[in-house]
Formats: sequence, C-alpha cells, structure tokens
Amino acid sequence: MPASPPNCGSPDHNLHRRKFLQGLSAGAVSSMSWGGLFGAPAFAEIAKRKQKHCILLWLCGGPSQFETWDPKPGMSTGGPFKSIPTNVPGTHFSELLPKCASIADKLAIVRSMKTTAKEHTEGINLLQRGHSPRPPFTRPTIGSVLAQQLGQLESKIPNFILLDPCPEGNEFKGFKAGNWAGWLGADYSPVRVGGEFQIPDAHKLDSITEDDHEAREALRKFFSKKYENDRKSAAASSWNATFERVNGLMSCAHLFDLERIPQADRDRYGPGAFGQHALLARTLVEEGAPFVMVANGMPWDSHVFNHEIYQMVVPDLDNIIFQLTKDLEDRGMLEDTLVVAMGEFGRSPWINQARGRDHYPNAWSLAMAGGGVQGGALVGATDKYGAEVTEDPFNEENLFATIFSALGIDPHSEFDIPGFPTFHHVENKAAPISQILS
Amino acid sequence: MNPLTLKKGKEIDLPSHVLDLTLGPDKKLYASCLDGGVYEVSTAFKIISDSYKEIARHDNFASGINWSASQNTLISAGYGGDLKWIDPKEKKETRSVKAHNFWSWQSRISPDGKLVATTTGQYLCGGYEYEPAPETEPSVKVFDVATGELRHSFPHIPPVQSVAFSNNGKLLAAGNLMGEVILWDLEQDGKEIARIKTPDFTGWGIIKGHYYTGGVFALHFAPDDKSLYLAGMGSTTDPAAGNGKQLWQNFTWHDGIKKSSSAVKGEIGEGLMETLAFHPSGKFFVMAGRIFKGDWNAALFDHESGSRLHHQNVGFRISASAFTPDGKTLFLAGGKNQGNPAEERKWGRIIIYKVVS
Repeated sequence: MPASPPNCGSPDHNLHRRKFLQGLSAGAVSSMSWGGLFGAPAFAEIAKRKQKHCILLWLCGGPSQFETWDPKPGMSTGGPFKSIPTNVPGTHFSELLPKCASIADKLAIVRSMKTTAKEHTEGINLLQRGHSPRPPFTRPTIGSVLAQQLGQLESKIPNFILLDPCPEGNEFKGFKAGNWAGWLGADYSPVRVGGEFQIPDAHKLDSITEDDHEAREALRKFFSKKYENDRKSAAASSWNATFERVNGLMSCAHLFDLERIPQADRDRYGPGAFGQHALLARTLVEEGAPFVMVANGMPWDSHVFNHEIYQMVVPDLDNIIFQLTKDLEDRGMLEDTLVVAMGEFGRSPWINQARGRDHYPNAWSLAMAGGGVQGGALVGATDKYGAEVTEDPFNEENLFATIFSALGIDPHSEFDIPGFPTFHHVENKAAPISQILS
Repeated sequence: MNPLTLKKGKEIDLPSHVLDLTLGPDKKLYASCLDGGVYEVSTAFKIISDSYKEIARHDNFASGINWSASQNTLISAGYGGDLKWIDPKEKKETRSVKAHNFWSWQSRISPDGKLVATTTGQYLCGGYEYEPAPETEPSVKVFDVATGELRHSFPHIPPVQSVAFSNNGKLLAAGNLMGEVILWDLEQDGKEIARIKTPDFTGWGIIKGHYYTGGVFALHFAPDDKSLYLAGMGSTTDPAAGNGKQLWQNFTWHDGIKKSSSAVKGEIGEGLMETLAFHPSGKFFVMAGRIFKGDWNAALFDHESGSRLHHQNVGFRISASAFTPDGKTLFLAGGKNQGNPAEERKWGRIIIYKVVS
C-alpha cells in the first residue's frame, strides 16, 4: 500500500470523523470499501452528489397535458383554454400557465411520456418506483433511493420528507399506507408532515437538562443496539431506525412550522395548501433536506368537469413552479436542486359524458427544472389530437434514468442488497432522456 | 287523470355536446355547443340530410343561446366571454359584445326579450382550503338587447354558474359554486333584496383533493315569482366521482330565507343536475342532468307537492331543456362520450319527447 502523502499541517486536515461521515451519502458508504473512500475521483463524485437536492411536486391523480404542457388549441380535444407563447421561441404552454411561460427557458418539458399503467395504484407504483412490480421484492420509491444516495449520515433533518396535507386520496391513500422504502428498509421511508400530520411532542421537556437528555439518549441507544444485535431482529432494527429519526426530528421540528416563514414569502406562494407546502419544501431544502415530495391528495383526477377544476388547480401549479424556480435561482440553489412536476399518467384527449378527462398513459407530459437539466428543452411530440406520441417516446425507466443522471447517480449501478437478486437503480440499461440533461 | 309520461320521438345528432338550447321564430330550435358552433336544428321527422345548420361560431365553447321575440334576435354566449347577436333569418352575426374576461357560464333573456343576463368568474385559489378568491370583474352583467349597452353590473363570489329572470321580469337571481344565490330587484336599480345561502349544493373534496365542486347549476322562479328553485348536485366528498344527490330545492325570501320544499330522498339518485325548466301550465317542471347512480337522469316533478311524477334514463348527459309554448313537447339536450377524436364522431344529442297526460 503506498504511503499517504504528508499533510501540510493545515487544520483542514484534522477532519473530525463525524463531520467527515456527514459529508458522505449514506448509500455511498454502504456500497463502497473504506479504502475506496480515499480515491480522489470517488470522493469528488460523492462530495458533489451530497450537495444535490430534489423536490418532487407530485401531481397525483394524473394531470392533463392539454391544460398544461401540450395544449391543442382549436382541436376537438383541445378544451376551452388557448395556448400562449413562452419565452422560448416556438414553445407554447396552456394559457393557464402564464408565469411558467415567462420562465420556460428554465424549464425542461417532456411531451412524449408513454407508459402502460392505466389505473392509479398501478400508475403511482410505476412512477414512484420506476419499474413494474416483481413480487415478492418491493422496489423502493424514488424518494427512498434518493434519500439513500443523497442523504447525509446522522443528519438531523430527515432524508425523505413527504409533505401532504390531504390525509385522504383514494388509491393514493392506500399507497401512502404502504411500503415506500422497499428493500432499503425503514431508514429510508418518508417522514410525513402537513395538514393533520404534524410532528407531535417533538420538544424536550424543560424539566430535563440538556446533559440529562444526552445521557438518557446514549443509554437508550446502547441498550437498543445491543438488543438488536443480540436478537438479530429486523423489527428491532426498524424500530430503532424510526426512533433515531424521531429523535432527529426533535432538533429540527421547528423547520416544519409554516408560521416561521416570512408572510411575504407565504403570500407569494398563494394561500392554498399545495403552495404553502411547496414553500415549506424550499425552506427544508435550504436546510439540507435531500428529497422533499409535495403532494395534496389526488386533485388532478378530473373524471368530472375537467375544465371547471383545472381553471383553479393549474393556475395554482403555475404560480408554485414559478416561485419555486425563481427562489431557488435567487438563492443560488437551482443548479443543485432538481424540481420535477409530474403525476402517474396524463388524461384522455376525449371528453367523457361527465365533461371530464379519463386516465391516459399513452401520451402525457411532465416538467423539470434546475440541477442537471437543460432549461428551455422541449422533448417529444404528440399528434394533432394529443392522442399518440409521434416523436421520442419515453417510459418510466427513461425518466428514472434521467432523474438519477441529473443528480449525479449512475442509473445502471446495482443496489447493495446482500441476499437479494441483482437489482439496478434502473433496469434494462434504459437510457436517460439525453436531450434534457445539461 | 292519466299519469304524466314522456314519449320519445326523434333523436338528433350534433357535432358536440349541447350546452344550451332555445326555441326561436317559427318554432325553430337553436343549440349552442361545445365546439363553439351555434346551430339551427330541424325538428322535422322526415329529413334526408343533416338535421342542423351552423349559423354562428364562437372561438370557444358556445355556452348559451337565447331568443328575443320582441327584438327579433338570437343572442349566444361563449367561453370567450363574448355575446353575439344573430339574425336568425339571415343566419349571420349582427353584433358582438365582450361581456367578460372569462367564460360566460350561463346567459338568460328576460321574459320581455329586452335584457340579456350573463354570468362569469374563474375559480381561483383564495384560501388554504381552496375557498374561491374574490372576483376581479363583476360576475353578473345585464345588457340591453336593443343596443348592446351594459345596463347592470352585480358583484358576486365567482364562479357564478347560473342566472334567471323572474317571470314578471322584475327580479334577477344568480347562483355560484358555494351555493350562494343573490336576488336583485331590477326595478329598484338593481337593489339586492335577498341572499340565499345553502351548503347543500357544494362539496369539498376531502377524498381526492382539496377544492370545492358542484354549485347551483340551474335557477328558475316559480310561476308566481314567490319562490325560487335551485338545482344541482348534493354535497360530495369525491369531486372526481360526481356522486352527490340529484337535487333541487325551493326557497322563499319574503319573510326571511326559508326552504319551502326539496327533492324527496326516495325519489332521487346521484349525479349532477344541470337544467330545470317549467311546463307552461306552471304545474310541474323537468329537472335533468347526469346519472351516476339510480334509475333516471330526467324527471318531472309536481310544483305543489314536490313529488316526482315521471322519471327516465335518457341515456346521455343532459345540459339543457325546454318545453314548447303549447306544452306538448319537451326538448332535452346534451351529449354522449366524445370518443376517439380521429373518428370525428357526432356526440351532441337532442331528444324530442311528447308530453303525454
């Protein structure tokens, strides 16, 4: 083994072990040898990755591409909303997105998503996990994978935060109650906050001193770990992981308090629950959260009165994407933060008897902004009715490969899950959507 | 007395969903449709070619069509916020007025044909629970049919989805998403005389997502103008299902706001009701719309008792209805599924019924 070069005596070299580990992604440590950590390229890659963040605006229910990113004005499928030009020549959005039209040069739009899942549960799983089910194995959701890959060891702020003020949501409610982290385990399941999901009892009692609190915690940790090791209990391991996260939440509970955010900021994001939680997501990312998912039930599932509902929900989304993108840019964070706005599929070109649009996976759109993607990019196309993809069809694997690539993660690398079959972050060597990667 | 029934006659196909219809001159029928077209519709039983002829076009959904006999003009309304005056004989547009910056949800002509009222309003997020934001323009406007000039502007909470003149033409009522109906006295320079608030027509979507749906979709004054009928859908927690009760309620306001009658529980199913029209006799009315659950989407109700007299499933969603002046015929209009757009299928429908008693 070659000798290490002598250090220059700078105090920078006296890196505290704990600080050092905080600077490494959890996934990296779990999948690399200790010696490998000192390889300069690997370290640089990890150090770069650790600064990345992702905010997923989860438009559950399946947003209509016609009233957002792929309008068809004047066609029988187009609906009542017109299209407007954007600040990218040749690119038009729905007139319901005037603010996004003014920052189209910062957005990357994919108009050619083509997937297979037609129902919510199937679609949510597909677009949250990036792959169809392979029982008995449960693939982790994108949030859990990014929490592992981008998250910090011993971070006090949760690595996967789900902000969803709507406790219901039909099929999404069922999904929320399920297994988000899959084979990655409870360490990487989301901490859910929003609406009735507040963080309860997250404050240390005044009657306990800081020293007492730390001593108690050390003792609890010792016995818990001993119990877990002695019994080799997965349940105990999961419980300890949960407790660790709750313990961590005690030190960051205040970050989830909307009231702490300046009123002017809150006004800009609009009064609705989705906007307020998107703002909260921004502040959490500023505090170091690697992955925050913002949802609001399933409001995009417009089987009845599509246009009458979209007159409200799309302007809300328009403002949220605009404010989020501008805020991240103003704070110098846009380059390191990937924002994704999508649902589990799109909506049908035809209007049903209830003047709604139904589920439609054959041709749908999504938007991204920020880190790793090229602003102003417009990829794919659909026919004049918006019924079929005519250029560059992409599926969920291409999408996940894009997200991972944008965040500096090798999409084709293997999960480190001993005892499992070989699983990759993206299977089938699916290619990322290269046209939108910067 | 024989039971009241409807006997189906001709079914007419139109290019797209019919949002409104009216009887015009010479017993002709006119329809405004989702594709923006305003059509003269033939009700003759023996025809060879198409049953309709386009007479005007909006560049957005054509939401309303009204006939003014006194001014001899049709007036259509569209989601572009515009009103169009149409000469039925020449089949051409004679005037266009920009009434709103958003959709004209509904328009109605006064009984004397001298005024046309139209309602608007975009539902925008105004609160944490998606309460509607205040209006940015007057939500209710009344225009002079002869001149096209604005005669009245009334504030409301948008979106305002329905409007009606009283039978004597003195009162105007307009209802919104939140189940609030305002009555104005046009003879007192538009003085507000009553405000009916009912939570029964509005749902907040706790199941799928947080927003309000429903609202008052149809208004009609009772024949004596002493009460007002509201129609729509009962409260639902799942906006995407449209599964609230098929609902009408009747309110009086002279001695304070009182609900005098409503649809009887055992006689209604589930689904949004979009239209309510009185028979010329004043004894009964039709309410129709969409069926989600139950066995009818068009029914006749007795004005005095409120009981259901006849009901049937028409087979497609109904958005508009009208009786002929002699009361012998009922037109129900709406549409089926659009279907694959490449097939360019005609999915608008009007059915002609004989009213038999």
